[in-house]
Amino acid sequence: MSFNRSSSIEADIAKAIASMKRDQEALNAVVTWVDPAPQLEDLAKHKDGLMQGVPIVLKDNVSTKGIRTTASSKILDNYVPVYDATIVRKLRDAGAIVVAKSSMDELAMGGTNLTAYTGPVHNPYDIQRMSGGSSGGSAALVASGAVPFAIGSDTGDSVRKPAAFCGVIGVKPTYGRISRYGIIPYSSSLDHVGYFTRTIEDAAIALEVLAGRDEKDMTSSTRPVERYSEGLNQDLHGKKIGILKNVVDANHNEKTKALFDDHVKSLEAAGAEVVPITMNEDLLMAILPTYYLIANCEATANHSNLDGVRFGVREPGKTLEELMVNSRTQGLSSFIRKRFVIGSYGLLDENQERLFRKAQRVRRLIVEDFAKALASVDAIMALASSDIAPKLDDHSLDNLSNTYLIAENFMVLGNFSGYPSVTLPIGLVDGCPIGVNYTAKPFREKELFSLLSGVESLTGCKGMVKEVNA
Amino acid sequence: MSELNRQDIRKLAKNLMFDLSDDEISDIQSEFEVLMKQLALLEAIDTETIEPMVTPFETPTHFLREDEVDAVIPVEEALLNAPKRDGNYFVIPKVVNDEL
Repeated sequence: MSFNRSSSIEADIAKAIASMKRDQEALNAVVTWVDPAPQLEDLAKHKDGLMQGVPIVLKDNVSTKGIRTTASSKILDNYVPVYDATIVRKLRDAGAIVVAKSSMDELAMGGTNLTAYTGPVHNPYDIQRMSGGSSGGSAALVASGAVPFAIGSDTGDSVRKPAAFCGVIGVKPTYGRISRYGIIPYSSSLDHVGYFTRTIEDAAIALEVLAGRDEKDMTSSTRPVERYSEGLNQDLHGKKIGILKNVVDANHNEKTKALFDDHVKSLEAAGAEVVPITMNEDLLMAILPTYYLIANCEATANHSNLDGVRFGVREPGKTLEELMVNSRTQGLSSFIRKRFVIGSYGLLDENQERLFRKAQRVRRLIVEDFAKALASVDAIMALASSDIAPKLDDHSLDNLSNTYLIAENFMVLGNFSGYPSVTLPIGLVDGCPIGVNYTAKPFREKELFSLLSGVESLTGCKGMVKEVNA
Repeated sequence: MSELNRQDIRKLAKNLMFDLSDDEISDIQSEFEVLMKQLALLEAIDTETIEPMVTPFETPTHFLREDEVDAVIPVEEALLNAPKRDGNYFVIPKVVNDEL
């Protein structure tokens, strides 16, 4: 049965909660527990729902009416939304039961999940290692087997990177495919709702639930929602897959290279045509600074309302200005305030054209080159990370190297372009998962899921779960 | 590429309505050195005739609708998260004539 359901919904929910509570000390993945009782009482209304009785987790930047939503930031520690995000309504209409809100990098502005107000999230495969972020709590809870589905959000690779580190499937659909209404924003031109599952079939079903036009989100697409889970075809004959060679060349880790080579051989043995694709190296090296500018500039503007005046934690001050300054200084971490300074610098009158607009122009060139690379293949793929999840205190990567700038950050291509992009596990190195990322043309999720059901059948990682050993 | 001195950083923080400690300012200066090197990669790319890309797709997804009341949040709910309120108002420190 999809979503790993048993014949008893109550038992599935109780098991999920027990698992999360048992692992909380080791993983630190839950921010807020959600009472399932009222949702279970409501379930009869949704008996035909595609996710009936499935225990799920929401990243803590998803607005939930009457349930605390902090975005893992101190300044929102007391914030209780008065409305549900559109995806919450859709998931509940489909019969899903929310059991927890999960930890994330503060305001989703990070890739490690080390910056959450409640502390780091640990990786179920090795609790000395990070989960990755920013949707780390959701990724860890799907990986540990607690829940078969969790919502995340993806602005740079914030679903697909933690999916790789935690050995689960991470889906970032096409920009506009899923409504963002009620998601606490980070960078509006890059933000996507994404999610985690343990099988491609579950990923396809979930998109049928989540996708669709929403009049409350003017960036949501008017394209019809497809039956993504119908006709998943594992046959890879005739499929053409491009390997992003720049990423392969930027990976200097022999163990992960060997695993990737084996993956490519298995694709070819299964009938897929695998071809190397080379993008403009200069453009790829510019991905990270381009992202950094656009994301921080947009975030600086988006979060100007976090001031302790109308909602959130207010710190005392004799004047309005002092109140705001105290609330923002004490409510936003040092890491976030530094990012805002960078964003604000890029938006200064004298810098806007030279930095922010320049980044937007380079973004267009990168996307054009990416579209050209994708034109002749069904999907482009590469390792989602050149290594297993780093240790919590590991800062060893040189942030000017091609390993860092390309191999560790190329998945931003999916956010710049808005194209659908999925990470799935292909094996373990030193006992920890390695994921591969596939990206397709816009709104081709149905074809992508079909391709990936074939890929998944070769990996031996379908439904993979890691029991937590504290 | 111009450098960012401590005074510039303090000014940016002031505009952003928060304070930074001396250590935080030093951290920003260090991060800026790396960022400037990364931005050089971006500056080297010729974008002379390229339009900025502000959103992934240019297909219109927003339309004018009839001017009808929709998705209303009651005042009581809108003020539920107010740190301090009085009736239908958010209460803040006095802004004008605070000596009165």
